[in-house]
Amino acid sequence: MAGIVCRTASRIISSQVSCSSSVVAVRHSHWFTSMLSLKTSSPLRAEPKKKKKVDPRREIMMKERLKKKLKRLEKVAPELIPIEDFITPAKCLDETRIRDAPKHSFEESERRALLLKEWSRYKYSQHQTEMDTINEALEAQRQALDELKLESEELYKAAVSPDTDIFPFQHEGPSYTPPVTNYEAPEGKYNDITRVYTQ
Amino acid sequence: MAAPFSRLCRPLWRITTTSTLNKGVRNVSSSRQQWSAQNVKTAGAASPWALNGAVCLQRLPVVSEDGSPIEEEFMELMHLMEFERSLLSDHELRLLEDAARMSRKQEGDYDSDEEDYRDNEIVTAQDLEDIWEQKPKQFQPAPRSQGVDEKDMSSSERCLADSLILLVKKDVGSQKLWLLPQIQWQTGETLRQTAERALASLPGADKKATFLGNAPCGYYKYKYPKVIQKEGSVGAKVFFFKAVLSSHKHLPLEKNSFAWVKKEELQDFLKPEYLKQVRRFIMAL
Repeated sequence: MAGIVCRTASRIISSQVSCSSSVVAVRHSHWFTSMLSLKTSSPLRAEPKKKKKVDPRREIMMKERLKKKLKRLEKVAPELIPIEDFITPAKCLDETRIRDAPKHSFEESERRALLLKEWSRYKYSQHQTEMDTINEALEAQRQALDELKLESEELYKAAVSPDTDIFPFQHEGPSYTPPVTNYEAPEGKYNDITRVYTQ
Repeated sequence: MAAPFSRLCRPLWRITTTSTLNKGVRNVSSSRQQWSAQNVKTAGAASPWALNGAVCLQRLPVVSEDGSPIEEEFMELMHLMEFERSLLSDHELRLLEDAARMSRKQEGDYDSDEEDYRDNEIVTAQDLEDIWEQKPKQFQPAPRSQGVDEKDMSSSERCLADSLILLVKKDVGSQKLWLLPQIQWQTGETLRQTAERALASLPGADKKATFLGNAPCGYYKYKYPKVIQKEGSVGAKVFFFKAVLSSHKHLPLEKNSFAWVKKEELQDFLKPEYLKQVRRFIMAL
């Protein structure tokens, strides 16, 4: 019965709509609201979760506050890495470790003083000979370059141009004993206990 | 590179000096005093001097040399002074404790319960010292002098504490002379390449050497004897380049044509004028 009424009502409405532009919401039952209005049925209307405009703003504010806190933390200067050589270890300040100061005889202290003076004289003469040798070698090189310049400009330019292949230059310096031929060093384990600091 | 000397008066001096002294000896050195005006004129034109490149190959010392007496004495004094000013180390403290404990044990009223037992009881510091002394004896280092005869000039293992120079015996004209290895310059190559070729052309084991820079370290100029002098060739100039021996195989070289020589022994091998120029840039420090 209700269905027939509805169908007739809808036909009337549709005929009415086709003539007039304005929509008249005619409700015949609460289940069937007008076709053209929003479909806001009660199940939909009963939902508790609704995103209001205030919430996104709150979230944005939270993020900004966190970012500001992070920036403040980062602005603090990083802690300096301690130089271990400059810190006197507590062991050295221990009183029990002090050696008894030895008492030298007069001759001993005299001998030491004289030896130190002799050493300074020796080192001075050594330095002089070194400087002389170096200057002599430099002078020889300079004269050789002058000679070369007289010979040909091209060769001179080639000689004066910098040598890029020489660096990095490596050479093993003299040791106390010469290297043993065909020596196989034994494998060894070691624990590396160096302290590594990160900033 | 050459030190920046200010040599404004130099060119004048060169021109006004007298001509070269021609000694009886074939090789004439040209030091500053004996520079002739002739050379200044012939610059720029096709030079009458033949160019040679030579290499001064040095085997640097392998072993540290023994100190002089004063150095030894001073080293001992330094060790002594450092020892006196130092603090007691952990090991020394342990030694003292052990000694004190020993003396306490010897006394009559020794109560071992009063001692706090630690691992020190088992291994004393003195034992540790003995162990440490024994350990290096398992390794046999090579002897310092290497056992090679000092007089054997052809071996490069000679005097490990000094730097050695390589000399080569070569036919120059009619004579056989000891020289630094040299070779004629060819057009199209730099003098350093000539020196490298001179090194490579030596018969024997290949010597890997590092040349120290593009510039020559010294030169030697000599005139040909009048018999050979033609128009356009007065003499020859030899430019020396320094090289350092990096590694080589210890193959023996022919005794009569090669020699590894210290700076002091150079005078036994080289002609005096040649030696005078060569000694300037060989540094035996």
